[in-house]
Amino acid sequence: MGPLVVNEVISENTNLLLAFLIGIGFGLVLESSGFSSSRKLAGVFYGYDTVVLKVFFTAAITAMLGLLFMSLFGWINLDLVYINPAYIPSAIIGGIIMGAGFIIGGYCPGTSFCGASIGKVDALVFIGGLFLGVILFSETYGLWEKLYLAGFKGSPKLSESLGLSDGLLAFGVILAAIGMFYVAEWAEKKFPREEY
Amino acid sequence: MKARVILSISVVGLGLIIAAVPQNTTHPYKLSADQLLEEAKGRQQFFSPEELADKLVNKDPSIQLIDVRDQDDFEKFSLPGAINIPLSDILNSQFTDVLDQDVKMNIFYSNGTVEANEAWMITRQLGYENNFVLEGGLNFWVETIMNPQKPASTNPNEEMAKYDFRQAAGAALGGGGGAIQAAAPADQGGGAKPALTKKPAKKKASGGC
Repeated sequence: MGPLVVNEVISENTNLLLAFLIGIGFGLVLESSGFSSSRKLAGVFYGYDTVVLKVFFTAAITAMLGLLFMSLFGWINLDLVYINPAYIPSAIIGGIIMGAGFIIGGYCPGTSFCGASIGKVDALVFIGGLFLGVILFSETYGLWEKLYLAGFKGSPKLSESLGLSDGLLAFGVILAAIGMFYVAEWAEKKFPREEY
Repeated sequence: MKARVILSISVVGLGLIIAAVPQNTTHPYKLSADQLLEEAKGRQQFFSPEELADKLVNKDPSIQLIDVRDQDDFEKFSLPGAINIPLSDILNSQFTDVLDQDVKMNIFYSNGTVEANEAWMITRQLGYENNFVLEGGLNFWVETIMNPQKPASTNPNEEMAKYDFRQAAGAALGGGGGAIQAAAPADQGGGAKPALTKKPAKKKASGGC
């Protein structure tokens, strides 16, 4: 049955409409979790507030379990679900740039729009920087192209690389996430901050 | 505090279930039309008669010949070691273990290549690997391996070597001397005795990791 758009159950346009609605829901959850505050977001790097880690890992686990159970029931064909292609050097360098930007600016791309939508000036500045980066990268693409496309690994799945079944890896991720949640809560007690 | 403990336990429980159940690998269609076209265009499914003859003479255990013609034709003439899966029965679940496995190379053959190719397309569409088609089918096999034509002496050495190989392989496989004719291989059992049809042995459960 699924993915709906690949199996032509719904059209490309309906797909976009669904994405729009899900996007609004995503933004709503981000805002209500306090993700429009850059100080709260940056807290994950200092240990005083780890809500980022908890929310995103909960989202990952929920989606992961949902997909695996839907696959088990035959509702979705996981082989047709798009997986981002992996380029190792780009991923590492991009990760460093993104992480640095996150610490300095206090937002990630999604949450910056969340902050901007409730009128935060720092979020607007962050978005300005984001577009500047996009334009700079596009204009100088020729310089980076080789590096950008180096180390192509196809669309590997962690479970395949480790030789585990998807379910077993999912179970491992769940255990790791719960362990991380406990460490995160411990860190919040260890490095408390009164007001932020 | 209580809510998150309950949540943690239920998530771990769900994780245990998903870790314990076998992965769902039954998908109605594995290949998109584009991918199938690409593979068919690349002709990667074809197995040349020489290659097959070489493997048959050496009794290579890595191949499994599958005759996709109907049972009558199969009983009249078949290649050594072949099993019979008529095209109309290809979706029968009793053959799934034979068609969907990663141990042997299955080689489909029919009189020409049409039926064998149809069998390949169906199994490929089901996502099965390791299925191939005998290039040219039985007619080409009889022409080239069983009754090879000596090339003119002006031909390059490779052609002569190919002929020598074909002749030797044909003799080893019971052909040669015009015992069987390309036009009607099904009617001629004289030169090559129909091989005993082995029922496929029970293979290990396919799929898994």
